[in-house]
Amino acid sequence: MIKKVTAGVMALTLGASLLAGCSSDGADDGKTTLELFSNKSESIETYKELIKEFEAKNPDIKIKLDAPPEAETVLKTRLTKNDLPDIMSIAGNATYGELGRAGVLEDFSGTDLAKPVQPAYIEMINRLVGPETEGTFGLPYATNANAVIYNKTKFEEHGLEVPATWDEFIASLEKVKAAGDTPIYFTLKDAWTGMIAWNSLGANVAGEDFAEKKNAGDTSFADKYDEVADKMDTLVQYGHKDNMGVAYGDGNNAFAAGKSVFYLQGNWAIPEILKANPDMELGVFPMPVTNDPAQNKLVSGVDVLLAVSKDSKHKEEAMKFAEFMMNKDTAKKYIDEQKAFSAIEGVYQENPVFEGIKANFENGTITSFPDHYYPAGMGAENLVQEFLIKKDKEKFLKKMDSEWDKVQNR
Amino acid sequence: MKKKNSVFLIITIPAFLLFFIFHSFPALQGIFYSFTDWKGYGDWNFVGLKNYLNVFKDERAGDAYLFTFKFAIVATILVNIISLLVAIGLNSKIKFHKTLRAIYFLPYILSILIVGFIFNFIFAHFLPQIGDAFGWEFLTRNILGNPDLAWIGIVIVAVWQAVSFNTILYLAGLVTISEDLYEAASIDGAGVWTKFWKITFPLIAPFFTINMVLSLKNFLMVFDQIVALTGGGPGKSTESISLLIYRGGFEGGEFAYQSANAVIYFIVIIVFSVIQLKFLNKREVEN
Repeated sequence: MIKKVTAGVMALTLGASLLAGCSSDGADDGKTTLELFSNKSESIETYKELIKEFEAKNPDIKIKLDAPPEAETVLKTRLTKNDLPDIMSIAGNATYGELGRAGVLEDFSGTDLAKPVQPAYIEMINRLVGPETEGTFGLPYATNANAVIYNKTKFEEHGLEVPATWDEFIASLEKVKAAGDTPIYFTLKDAWTGMIAWNSLGANVAGEDFAEKKNAGDTSFADKYDEVADKMDTLVQYGHKDNMGVAYGDGNNAFAAGKSVFYLQGNWAIPEILKANPDMELGVFPMPVTNDPAQNKLVSGVDVLLAVSKDSKHKEEAMKFAEFMMNKDTAKKYIDEQKAFSAIEGVYQENPVFEGIKANFENGTITSFPDHYYPAGMGAENLVQEFLIKKDKEKFLKKMDSEWDKVQNR
Repeated sequence: MKKKNSVFLIITIPAFLLFFIFHSFPALQGIFYSFTDWKGYGDWNFVGLKNYLNVFKDERAGDAYLFTFKFAIVATILVNIISLLVAIGLNSKIKFHKTLRAIYFLPYILSILIVGFIFNFIFAHFLPQIGDAFGWEFLTRNILGNPDLAWIGIVIVAVWQAVSFNTILYLAGLVTISEDLYEAASIDGAGVWTKFWKITFPLIAPFFTINMVLSLKNFLMVFDQIVALTGGGPGKSTESISLLIYRGGFEGGEFAYQSANAVIYFIVIIVFSVIQLKFLNKREVEN
């Protein structure tokens, strides 16, 4: 009896290990199979088309697209198993920084592939890896933007003009408020939406090297973010009645229904707003944070970067795919379908909605998302949300500092 | 006899293996890693008790403990009062009592996430409209957006759902009480109140104990309701310990640190359950 059960258990374990063994790549018909790992469910269709195009040009290479939910967790577990996909299409955030520091990605610095990329984005992802590790371990591909979205019809009704300075921006908010309309539709029940304004303000006021200096102990939130906190506080006064009670999805619908003139969101919200109201006329502009128009930069981050595993058995083929992706025509096709922006010089988003921020991409007046460089465990968005409710500036800034230091010390 | 014993032993082996592989082993691993600086991947070093000392210095963990206990105690008391009342009602000879029992059990079958999203809608759209219509100022805004009231919203949802299961347990207890006792008491002239305190409550005391222990333990581990309703916000006002452990451990790369937090919390829950059992068992005997 015992033997039978043991045998059963053995069979089970054996079966499981066999199954696990099966997942290794099979080069069946002389073709090389590459695995492309993507963290965005939104781009699956676009990638499928691009892969088809690539496979037609390179008949001996097959590409398998893998875009699982919870992609970053999946990638981290595969990292522990030393089983990274050949090509990765991931966001330029803390996870990329970790992979870069772990030394498992191919270094692109100085290669021809990295040449056409706007230098600002290369710097951005280099800073994610940190000063201790030299190298550019990915090719910034598509980017996003943090902006002020406005309802064109209402904008004209109120006789407004696109503001170039903070004072002009506040003046237009004041004008809308005086007319009895809602200036900004806040959706602060979802804490992350507060970071849109925070990032625009922080990037322009505290500077791009804040995180680096903070880690070195040369600066602090109490030093640099006083003005940011004040301006956040000012903006919230131009919200609606229930700023803290409305979530992102409801906010998109409310803005689409004309409940406010301005909406502080990223380019990713635009397809959602247009879904709710396809006829809506939208415009965008970068939030003017200071009173010097020349100083005001657009906050834009690397939404997608392409990385190649250092230990890939098919590095040559993987590079071929990267080359294909970095081609200007492919890049254009990608951003047109995804309503995103390109990190490649000379490839611009022509969609008329984005007219107001096109200039920033053309002349490179862009800066990065400050919170991408915060330690991941500190939960900055909830602290910001708490501050917007309690308005205790000194205590809040001190807490931002102490949470940062605490996470660094673990 | 000997043969019979070995058969029973064999029956327990698969369950034991499954339990050990998927529960005990990861738990032991967690305890092991709580003494290291492991991030969830890569290299690690032993750091001794550093993680544990840091938990005690962590204000965020302290706030999470306070919130969780406040929530768990209020929810446990409410759930037990309400489910006992519902059970007594369902146990009496009313029309449709079987159908009603099924209806009262429905919330337990629904997934917590679905319940959470339904209530989210109620709090965000329905209640503010009522507040506007009647001019009740406190209801005109989403209570989940108010750091002082958000926890009440979570209590409402958690209690609404938990009552169904506890009601079933109380019903099972009530069924065991013989009708004769009540008849005899009626003849002696006992009122409804006396009957409840002298007959019903003492006789279902074991069920009361198990319900108190189970619901306190469940509410101390509250997680899904919060994810579905507030995500720990506004601010950190509704961040429970489980949520903090998950957030910090899996999203924040503090696997080892939050493992230490989990070990501490595990001990706290055990201590509470043992104290509760001791106290309530003593009461059962006295009765």
